[in-house]
Amino acid sequence: MFEAILPPGSADIIIDIIWILGKIVLILAPVMLCVAYATYGERKVIGHMQVRMGPMRVGPHGLLQPIADGIKLFFKEDIIPAEADKPVFYIAPVIALLAAMSSLAVLPFFNGFVLADINIALLYILALSSIGSYGIVLAGWASNSKYSFLGGLRSSAQVISYEVAMGLSLVGVMIQAESLNLTDIVVSQGSMPWEWNIFPQIIGAFVFFMAALAETNRTPFDLPEAETELVAGYMTEYSGFRYSLFFIAEYLAMFMMAILGATCFMGGWSGPGDSIHITLPLLGDFYFVSLGWLMLKVFFFIFIYYWIRATLPRFRYDQLMDFGWKLMIPLALLNIVIIATAKVFTKYHLIETLIKAIS
Amino acid sequence: MKSLKFLKRIFFWEILSGLWLTLKTGANPANVVTRQYPEEPRPSMPGFRGLHALVRESSTGREKCIACGLCAAICPSQCITIYTGENSEGAKIAERYEIDVLRCVYCAFCVEACPVGAVVLTEHYEYSDYTREAFYMDKERLLDNWDKYMAGDKGKNYFLNFWRPLNRDFGEYEGQPVFKGPKKEQA
Repeated sequence: MFEAILPPGSADIIIDIIWILGKIVLILAPVMLCVAYATYGERKVIGHMQVRMGPMRVGPHGLLQPIADGIKLFFKEDIIPAEADKPVFYIAPVIALLAAMSSLAVLPFFNGFVLADINIALLYILALSSIGSYGIVLAGWASNSKYSFLGGLRSSAQVISYEVAMGLSLVGVMIQAESLNLTDIVVSQGSMPWEWNIFPQIIGAFVFFMAALAETNRTPFDLPEAETELVAGYMTEYSGFRYSLFFIAEYLAMFMMAILGATCFMGGWSGPGDSIHITLPLLGDFYFVSLGWLMLKVFFFIFIYYWIRATLPRFRYDQLMDFGWKLMIPLALLNIVIIATAKVFTKYHLIETLIKAIS
Repeated sequence: MKSLKFLKRIFFWEILSGLWLTLKTGANPANVVTRQYPEEPRPSMPGFRGLHALVRESSTGREKCIACGLCAAICPSQCITIYTGENSEGAKIAERYEIDVLRCVYCAFCVEACPVGAVVLTEHYEYSDYTREAFYMDKERLLDNWDKYMAGDKGKNYFLNFWRPLNRDFGEYEGQPVFKGPKKEQA
């Protein structure tokens, strides 16, 4: 009906743009809510594991605690160190947040719902996590403080070491699915739990999980932000809203790694009953059961993150580097060898060919 | 056995058993040691030293204090101030008895020193306020404290349970000069 005033041929593009903007809101709003309540959930879970309760006072059982935290961080005074490098200081948390948020664009939430269904989705995610490490090292540098600088250096070294391990563990997934498109990866795993990637690739899943812990600077790999060693590492000089940007970036990255792990190794949105859908009028099919399965797997991953944080002490920095280069990378390579061999055998039906050739 | 140790090391056995312990602890929501304070206050142990009070003698309705000044003399932080005077029957009383609660260290030496058991430290500890003046207790407020926090059995049993005033244990020898009232007119 607006064709009269729009330039010819652009109605489709405008509808596409509106559709994409709508999808962005639909993805970002629940994910940000999940991120806020992930902080609450972490404090409760870790509290109970330490024989105490988490927040109990703010709302009923502390449910309004994330809102109180957000309001507090919003109204805090914005302190910038005197000798800090201002443009870099301003932009560093933005880079970290950008890397974490943009990765949400290629993650499939249920069948047919991806913001950007690109054929190099995994590569895109790996590239963005490398950009995220820029945010950290720039923050450490721009703060012009020795503790922050050391924290930033350590963190960036840790992140790039474990990125190698993560990429290699994902190569196993790529071989198995013969595609980098995340929807293809989900579809190539069946819908039953024994068909998911975690069982043949248990080594790869373990390496991916350790690398995900290290990428997001979570315990036991959180030396860069260890409160006892470096105050808050590269985040020390940030206050108020800038600190909350880093904080959100860290939890978003954690969520993104969890969704990626669930997608690549645990079958994504597949599970028994994943074809049940409601057809909404303008929007298409809404597979709510498969969304529920994805949420379950993601929360299971996140719970394991919290569980490990409550239990383990942190690595010393040289132990951390040893672990990454001397254990994770060889294990990931071993995983690739096993999976590639298995794939060649099953894809080209080599066993049958051999048997036929012999007999 | 070395092979068992090797296997345990590969499969992170100790880490897994640590994880199991935290899971067991975390899965039991009743297993917490947190006390939700304002709703669940902690009952004081007997003999707990809290806010000061002057004992009100039930028969006369006045304080038991004989203004000897022993409590003020022994107080390590010198927070008790006594101005003495004479009452209508000629006995010595404390006209002004003031305790500066913010100076007090709650040692209860005054309670131990008092020969008649006139000053006590009650079990009450929730008395925060916004001004310093609220913590400079004079005689009336101290007597009020007694009525509020040690009424009834608590007050009666205070000295029997924990603090024993000296005059329960010493008697007089024959001919000891003891003030029993103003000299009655020799008939």
